[in-house]
Amino acid sequence: MSAIGPAGRASLMAHLVAYYPDRESSFHTALGLVDAGVDFLEIQFPFSDPTADGPAIQEACATALETGFTMAGGFQLVGELAQRTDRPIMLMSYAGPVFARGVARFVSEAAERGVAGLIVPDLPLDPQYNEGLFEAARGAGIEAVPVVVAGAPEERVRLVLEWEARYVYVALRRGTTGDQTTLTPEAVAFLDRIRSAGVYTFAGFGVSSREQVEQLGAHADSVVVGSAFVRTVHARKEYGPAQVRNGVYHLAAELVGGPRGPASRNGRRRRGRSRSGLGRL
Amino acid sequence: MQGQADGPRRAAESDSDKGRRGRQGAAGQGRHDFFGEFGGRYVAEVLRSPLDELEIAFDEAISDSAFQRELDGVLRDYVGRPTPLIAADRISDQIGGARIYVKQEGLAATGAHKVNNAVGQALLARRMGKSRIIAETGAGQHGVAVAAVCARLGLACDVYMGELDMRRQKPNVFWMERYGARVLPVAGGSATLKDAVNEALRDWSASFEDTHYLLGSVLGPSPFPDMVREFQAVIGRETQAQCAERGIEPAALLACVGGGSNAIGFFSPYLENEGTRLIGVEAGGRGTDPGEHAARMRGLGRPGIVHGYKSLFLLDEDGQVLPTHSVSAGLDYPGIGPQLAHLGRTGRVEFRRATDQEALEALDYFARTEGLLFALESAHGAAAAPAVAMEYSNDQAIVLNMSGRGDKDLFIGARELDREGWKRFLKEEYESL
Ligand SMILES: Cc1ncc(COP(=O)(O)O)c(C=O)c1O
Repeated sequence: MSAIGPAGRASLMAHLVAYYPDRESSFHTALGLVDAGVDFLEIQFPFSDPTADGPAIQEACATALETGFTMAGGFQLVGELAQRTDRPIMLMSYAGPVFARGVARFVSEAAERGVAGLIVPDLPLDPQYNEGLFEAARGAGIEAVPVVVAGAPEERVRLVLEWEARYVYVALRRGTTGDQTTLTPEAVAFLDRIRSAGVYTFAGFGVSSREQVEQLGAHADSVVVGSAFVRTVHARKEYGPAQVRNGVYHLAAELVGGPRGPASRNGRRRRGRSRSGLGRL
Repeated sequence: MQGQADGPRRAAESDSDKGRRGRQGAAGQGRHDFFGEFGGRYVAEVLRSPLDELEIAFDEAISDSAFQRELDGVLRDYVGRPTPLIAADRISDQIGGARIYVKQEGLAATGAHKVNNAVGQALLARRMGKSRIIAETGAGQHGVAVAAVCARLGLACDVYMGELDMRRQKPNVFWMERYGARVLPVAGGSATLKDAVNEALRDWSASFEDTHYLLGSVLGPSPFPDMVREFQAVIGRETQAQCAERGIEPAALLACVGGGSNAIGFFSPYLENEGTRLIGVEAGGRGTDPGEHAARMRGLGRPGIVHGYKSLFLLDEDGQVLPTHSVSAGLDYPGIGPQLAHLGRTGRVEFRRATDQEALEALDYFARTEGLLFALESAHGAAAAPAVAMEYSNDQAIVLNMSGRGDKDLFIGARELDREGWKRFLKEEYESL
């Protein structure tokens, strides 16, 4: 499967929390990331009880809810972003808000707003526990992305392959988001195994440096950076949307290996759409 | 109730899923993934393997007579089982109607039914080769029970507790530490019980190799609701035997419902016995507005998925968890165990509410009239007892579960029931330090 990013390197997926620290800042954060050259945006719709997240994203979710995030507002924001960039938008949330919306409704709203994929870690691929998310997404022409943990038993990998998932998200270690990850030989072997089956592989959890991105990039199609961006937003949130945008822009530019020029639609340069066969592309 | 109706989306079910859904534990009510539409295992992939491991270990242990003997021994010698059943004669004489009996679970070691589950799961964890236990606690009753049991079994123990709860329940923090546990403050979210559950799940997702998460009520992802019910079913089995000794066939059983563990454990052997009404009493708090109570049944809760299971929760329209209130910290939780939510739907279990005020009055009434000191949680059940008794005649009987004793509520009870005297005492106490 062809990579999204430029030849010779893996693509980068940057994670942000909608409405963190407020709606406007999160909108500019997203555009800053796109302008710095990230290939995917992963936008988290906050939940009051994010059990898979570490302290940085927990704090972001709590703040986002305080500053007025609603599901309707979140979809509106995502829709506006999709108008401004060609980069695929992945929508991440928890079973709680997705189920409350109604899975079918959540999926169709996401598809209508131009979302390419859905990541809901506590709705696993197992048919009895996913509330029909995976089939509904496929029916709407987008993809729900199953998660596997590096080192998972073969039967968990088989579940993903049998579903003929287009993407898979490989969590590089146990635990929650945020803590530093060391790439183990076992994780590398696991990534290579998944990728050899032809599934577009996102790899993440605890990635925050250029060195890690390069290391991982040899074994995954796309490297996910989450808490590092969220922490950058946190550090600058008192200084307003422009400073938040600058912060994430510079971190993203460093992670992708130098700025690749503006790519949002009001920018000077736009990269062509990729040919990866991504949901909405 | 075994398994869940098959829908089209189940077509891709894997072999291991078929295995689980077909499996019956040898003892008790067996294993369920779902109770009607509620229950399940909605967890991030990382928690899949510890839950699988736990499920297998539990199924093996519960059908192993050696494990059962060990458990019975600890329940007898350490917990002090069986707990007594006593007739509340003076109250029955005063109010008329059915005779009221009280199952004194609060006489168990550490002061509440929580210890039954703590002993069961801690023995299981040791059998699984785990060396560390983590737990969540709200009021601190579950935390105290777990800390004490870990001390006995020589297991390391970390208890997560919301910062707000640590302030409200200082004495229990002190006792947990005396038992050698670390109490880890949780600052995130509302800094209460639900956030302590989140933090314990986060810890477990990284530590499960040597750590068991000892969840304190009949909630969370499967197999917790089944497992906790089975360890609490000793309450109901003893009640059945004690009633039989006295020639009583109870017309109704009454229990307070937080997550639901004392209630379902008490009701469990009676579920098939349609002649006995089962009544759960939730925390009515200060009113029915959001944030003022912790009652999920009778229209206030919505179907949702939180903490790895589907049930009825106090949620806003977007599925975000709402704050809760109850004078009793042990009932101050936004969700209800999936089996009870289901039994409420089918009508097998009736739900009522008692307000803070009603619970405090019941506490006072039972203490003065019967010499029985109810925990504030259990006092919610007691508050509903007179009205239920009056629906029957005096040749009938109802049984009320006193899930905990009230000593632990000194600080809250005194503030509510003797504010001035308590203030004076605290001031003098402070000055004497
Ligand atoms: C004495 C007592 N009763 C009841 C409860 C509520 O829990 P559950 O509904 O699981 O029995 C608690 C919880 O802390 C408690 O301490």
